[in-house]
Amino acid sequence: MSLLRLENVTKRFGGLVAVDRVSLEIKKGEFLGIVGPNGSGKTTLFNVINGVFYPDEGRVFFEETDITRMPPYKRAPLGIARTFQIPRPFASATVRENVAVGAMFGFQAKTINVEQSLEIADKVIERIGLSSHGNKSAGVLTPVEKKLMEIARALAMKPKLLLMDEAMAGMHPGEIDNMVKFLREVAQEEEIAIVAMVEHIMRAVVNMAEKVIVLDYGEKIVDAPTREALSDPRVVDVYLGKGAKEENAEG
Amino acid sequence: MKNRLSPYYPLLPVFVAYFALFLVGRNVEGTWQLVATLLFYCALGQAFNIFLGMTGYVDFGYVAFLGVGTYGMAIAITGLANFPQLGLGIVAIGFVLAIIMATLLSTAVGAVALRLRGAYFAIATIGVNEGFRFLIEGANLWNGSSGMIFTAQLNEILGRDLASRVMTLWADILVLFIGALAAVVTLLYMKSKIGYALTALREDEDAAKVMGINVTKYKITAFITSASFAGTVGAAAWALKTPYVFPPEVFEIHYTIEAIIIVMLGGAGTLLGPLVGALIYGVSKYYLSIFLPGVQLFIFALVIIFVIVTFPEGVVGVIKRKTRNTAIGQYII
Repeated sequence: MSLLRLENVTKRFGGLVAVDRVSLEIKKGEFLGIVGPNGSGKTTLFNVINGVFYPDEGRVFFEETDITRMPPYKRAPLGIARTFQIPRPFASATVRENVAVGAMFGFQAKTINVEQSLEIADKVIERIGLSSHGNKSAGVLTPVEKKLMEIARALAMKPKLLLMDEAMAGMHPGEIDNMVKFLREVAQEEEIAIVAMVEHIMRAVVNMAEKVIVLDYGEKIVDAPTREALSDPRVVDVYLGKGAKEENAEG
Repeated sequence: MKNRLSPYYPLLPVFVAYFALFLVGRNVEGTWQLVATLLFYCALGQAFNIFLGMTGYVDFGYVAFLGVGTYGMAIAITGLANFPQLGLGIVAIGFVLAIIMATLLSTAVGAVALRLRGAYFAIATIGVNEGFRFLIEGANLWNGSSGMIFTAQLNEILGRDLASRVMTLWADILVLFIGALAAVVTLLYMKSKIGYALTALREDEDAAKVMGINVTKYKITAFITSASFAGTVGAAAWALKTPYVFPPEVFEIHYTIEAIIIVMLGGAGTLLGPLVGALIYGVSKYYLSIFLPGVQLFIFALVIIFVIVTFPEGVVGVIKRKTRNTAIGQYII
């Protein structure tokens, strides 16, 4: 059974086709990288998956339930969490409260109370290494700390599927390696499938993703195991322009 | 072991302030009118804060809820004047009617306007109080523009003595209780999922949605709660204190502006903020009207610009930030 399945999803903005007949499938606990240059439709695809936009065509299934036109706030309790390209903390609230919001309205929304959410928040914050910032306003964190906080907030939702939008942009290689290690551990323990969207940070994708999808102008051009995908000539074309490989070889 | 009552500590300064106001008003000769005005501002701010402070949405038509609340009480008193044996029961019915009318109006306004974001919501609500005023006047609803005067009916229902005590004292004390109750509800909201949801949507509505928060539901909850309190404030501070109601007076946008100043000055979204804002605003307005009559709103325009530029979280917001993780901090939220 697939966790998430997209069937021929198309999303247009006026005349611009941002996502063009994309189909994909993710299984429980799987790690998928979505790669593509700026403007290739990655963020729109995320927005279709978590309901910010409804697709113009095609369908979205989560655990074989059709969620194509389900509003985003109903998807979160099914177990879909996401982080944003530019962190979006609830700035005036503390880090602990931010993360507690995740627990409160996420997968366990129906059964959890405020105290239990705060307890979960404390645990997740400690695990991700933000304990000393728990009572600070989220607005005063550094950009990298904000990213960590967002990941903590998403994990507190106890998701089955975690969508990460450029989660590691702005981190240095050491931080990325730590983050990759951390995510691998958590994902394995809690059986979270992760879809990580990446523009430049291939390091994360190579080390984590089992499978990579490459988008170009909204179209899926490659869907293959990671190593294979990244050495595909079409991917090199997308990133460096046609013929770059030959030039590179000559040079 | 954490004290079970500790989440309620922040109510202490609120209650102390109300009690102090009451004592001053009752014991210092000639201060009751000022105290009554302050109590009105406190209740108004406390009620408005549940919406403006907690959601970050500005409702320029807010005074309409006080207006319909005033009418609710007026209708109960005039309509039931033939049953004087009901006595104070009629006042109770008046409050219920005030709440019902404010709830209905807020549901109607909210269902339409709360679909809009930020500034668009503010613009959409500007017309609500004026619109309602013209509706009453134009459709000749509840006596239209001649308003309702019900001093005689109030005297008849409660007896002359009690009626005059209601007008001079009990109406103000009711306003005090409404303000205190609004503070209690604010704290209960803050400590519950509602409060967390409202904070989230105030800071980033799209992120809140994606995190599983039904933002419309929570915005409407805050809106209706806030409006019902406003209705009771109108019923007590306007209808019971001065038993008459004229449309231009109770739908005057001036009061909305005052409520905004009070909440912003004191600290939007904080528990103690509206109270502090109301005291600062009320006392300075009182003295400004003595020493610099006519320019108080101009001066407050400058003050509010200064506050928004230099410390947008308001007086209590700043204190809250400075005292976080200290012994005093647990009393200030």
